Amino acid sequence: MIFHELKRLGILGINNRVGRYILRHNKRANYPLVDNKVLTAKRALAWGIPTPENYLVVENYGSLKHLQRKLEGYSSFVIKPANGSQGNGIIVIKEVLKEEVAGETRILCRRSNDKLMELDEVKHHISGILSGLYSLSGQSDAAIIQAKIDMHPIFNDYSFGGIPDIRVIVFEGYPVMSMVRLPTKSSDGKANLHQGAIGAGLCLATGATNNAVIRNQVITSHPDTGHLISGLRLPHWKEILELAARCYDMVELGYLGADIVLTPDHGPILLELNARPGLAIQIANLSGLVPRLEKIRTEAPKGLLATERAAYSMRNF
Amino acid sequence: MKKLTVLITVLLLVTPLGILYYKAQVLNLSLLPQMVDDVWNFHLSVRPKGEHTSFSFPIPKSGPGIRVSDEKIRRKDLEVFIDASSDSNLATWSSREVLRTRVTYTARVDLKPLSYKKIPKDFTKTYPKGLQRYLKEPKLLPEDDEAIANLERAILEGNEDKTSLARKIFYYVEEEIQRNTSVKTIHQTLNTGKGSPLVKARLFNVMARRQEIPSRIVVMIRMPDLKQQQEGTNKLRFTFANEVFLNNKWIPVDTNRGFFGERPDDFMIVHRNFEDVEKLISKKNVSYIIQAERSRINKYNKAEFKKEVVRTDSLFSKFSLYRLPLPLQTMFTTILLIPIGTLVLSLARNLIGIPTFGIFTPVLLTLFFKETSFGFGMLFFFVVVLVGIGERYVLDKFYLLAVPRLSIILTLVIMLMIGYSFVSSDLDFMFQKHLAFFPIVIVTTNIERLSIMIAEEGIVNTLKTLLGTLIIAVLGYSLYSIPALEMFMFTNPELLLTVIGLLILIGKYKGYRLSEFLRFRDLVRQKKKQESGFDDLP
Repeated sequence: MIFHELKRLGILGINNRVGRYILRHNKRANYPLVDNKVLTAKRALAWGIPTPENYLVVENYGSLKHLQRKLEGYSSFVIKPANGSQGNGIIVIKEVLKEEVAGETRILCRRSNDKLMELDEVKHHISGILSGLYSLSGQSDAAIIQAKIDMHPIFNDYSFGGIPDIRVIVFEGYPVMSMVRLPTKSSDGKANLHQGAIGAGLCLATGATNNAVIRNQVITSHPDTGHLISGLRLPHWKEILELAARCYDMVELGYLGADIVLTPDHGPILLELNARPGLAIQIANLSGLVPRLEKIRTEAPKGLLATERAAYSMRNF
Repeated sequence: MKKLTVLITVLLLVTPLGILYYKAQVLNLSLLPQMVDDVWNFHLSVRPKGEHTSFSFPIPKSGPGIRVSDEKIRRKDLEVFIDASSDSNLATWSSREVLRTRVTYTARVDLKPLSYKKIPKDFTKTYPKGLQRYLKEPKLLPEDDEAIANLERAILEGNEDKTSLARKIFYYVEEEIQRNTSVKTIHQTLNTGKGSPLVKARLFNVMARRQEIPSRIVVMIRMPDLKQQQEGTNKLRFTFANEVFLNNKWIPVDTNRGFFGERPDDFMIVHRNFEDVEKLISKKNVSYIIQAERSRINKYNKAEFKKEVVRTDSLFSKFSLYRLPLPLQTMFTTILLIPIGTLVLSLARNLIGIPTFGIFTPVLLTLFFKETSFGFGMLFFFVVVLVGIGERYVLDKFYLLAVPRLSIILTLVIMLMIGYSFVSSDLDFMFQKHLAFFPIVIVTTNIERLSIMIAEEGIVNTLKTLLGTLIIAVLGYSLYSIPALEMFMFTNPELLLTVIGLLILIGKYKGYRLSEFLRFRDLVRQKKKQESGFDDLP
């Protein structure tokens, strides 16, 4: 069989992920908690899990009228669909400019890629989100206007035009694999592997990078900054894993992807959760998920606290 | 897999096969209706010679190897009586006035070759009364009688059972009597060793009856071959062969073409006892034109099959789709292939990993191809892709709210259809309005999603996905080019359960997809490099 190498390395395939892990360990009823970011944020608040502040949730076209008044007070923000996936439909505004034209104040938004957006364009984008263009099921959606997160200085040399995020796969509450996604020019500043961001595998014990890929190809340095990726070691590593492990208690999904960002002031905060995390993390780490998942399933002790589970993963993987 | 799952899957897979077996073996139903292509259109037109108010002529009758249907014989000004009391049909036309015009008879005739491989020995001594007429020896001249008696001594000595006797006579008449159409009496034949087909049949008949084997001369028509049909020289004439009654069965024998126990499917029996109709078919009394051609429509004979199903009077005849009104039947013939299409789709997505645009878009596209035409479907597909790209780069600049924006695309789709109908004149399907309504909305939403996909995943990824969609749609469409498959599903819809069983199997597949071999190719390569690197360390 041509698949024997994949099997030997314990690579998790899509069919296996869905059939053996997602369908068996994730209750359908709990999906809205992760698919809808508004619900995730509410739940996180109740559990004391830090998330970016939601300035505003736009739920209908009518509230777009007063958008200018509502946005004027903020110097930066992020627009995202409440039910989006893979970072689709997210726009980062890093600066809100005001100009006086004929006695009226007009606002212009500068995106993270330095493109300028007029308010009409912003409204158009939001109405697109509302009509469900970016939602998982294509149904109408809400748009979240959220505080923009600042980048932790450790990433200064490792990111281009956006903020990296850390993906942790959590199985039955145990972190099993992790990577950091570093935006590049070709990913348009987005931490999205499909669009060409770097995926760098992280050693669960230390939080140091072990390998990096762009679009399934192994690389050694950042294509835009030229910096070697192997030198990166994330601070607050234990906190990151503990945060990820707590997400399991929060949404009760056995197979979960937690996307975490590192802020300069508040340490790691939860950006969003994913009930169907991708498989590219295995390429980023140059190792398969199956042995780790099976170890958790068969050997790991039940009923541990999140901190104990994070510690178990740091010891074992 | 859990035991229950296995049990259900096996049941789903096996039950329909069991039903198929039951239908084929117990109910004796064919699993597919006959192709109409196998059927002959038979025409006969006859006029009696002289002044008659009524006359009779043999017409074909269903029997072994022959099935007659769709007979048309009635005529307003004539009374028609069909005598079907024997194993041949005899039609009688009668009128108050003298018959001056031709009467016609048409029918569809389905011929199957007859073949009796091993004919056991037959030692029958007495036959029922009904067969006595086939044993009556015709009066012969004394010298002919003697000549035949000599022959019998020479060729039949030592054979006791009737099967061997019939075979010996057959060999003699077939091989020793040369075909010569001008030799028309047994007397001449015995003297010259030559004979016309009719005389050869007569000689066989006489010799068989002398051995007390019930025998008769059958009147046949040899169907035209392809060349004759093409040249249009298909005025046919009667020809003759024999049947002998062995082991309670009439066995075909043809001394002219050399068949014993066999009749090829290009011979059609018109009457099974020449003696009864000798005068009726004589050129002296009637003038007739016989024609036959293969019906060229390559279609299944559903009507006949329906009768066959109803006749079984089983549970299946109550629930057969053939009982539905025709428009519904046509619809279901198409619809029943959709699950097979989804089977192809599931294989392509879950086992191979071909990306598709939306889950059921390939299936919808297949149906669109099917309902319109392949060429139009492809053209439409490409135009739709162009509109999607156009939307991304043009309509996006207007910043429209979603609903008006979608409505504009919908309007564009309708304009496209109008535009196409101007360009192409042969757009029959456009007149079927249910059809035009069906794809418009779907096409519109697909254009929108296409445009979003281009924005998000880039044009290359989008085109890859579109290609995957197209490949599966074309694969699905190719299913429809197998008419037998369509008919098979329609005739045996219980196979849908098998499809569900197969889908469960695919759904339970947890192995890798073919595409993942490519996706993780680099990982494997790097890992191997790493491993061999470590091996080098001391």
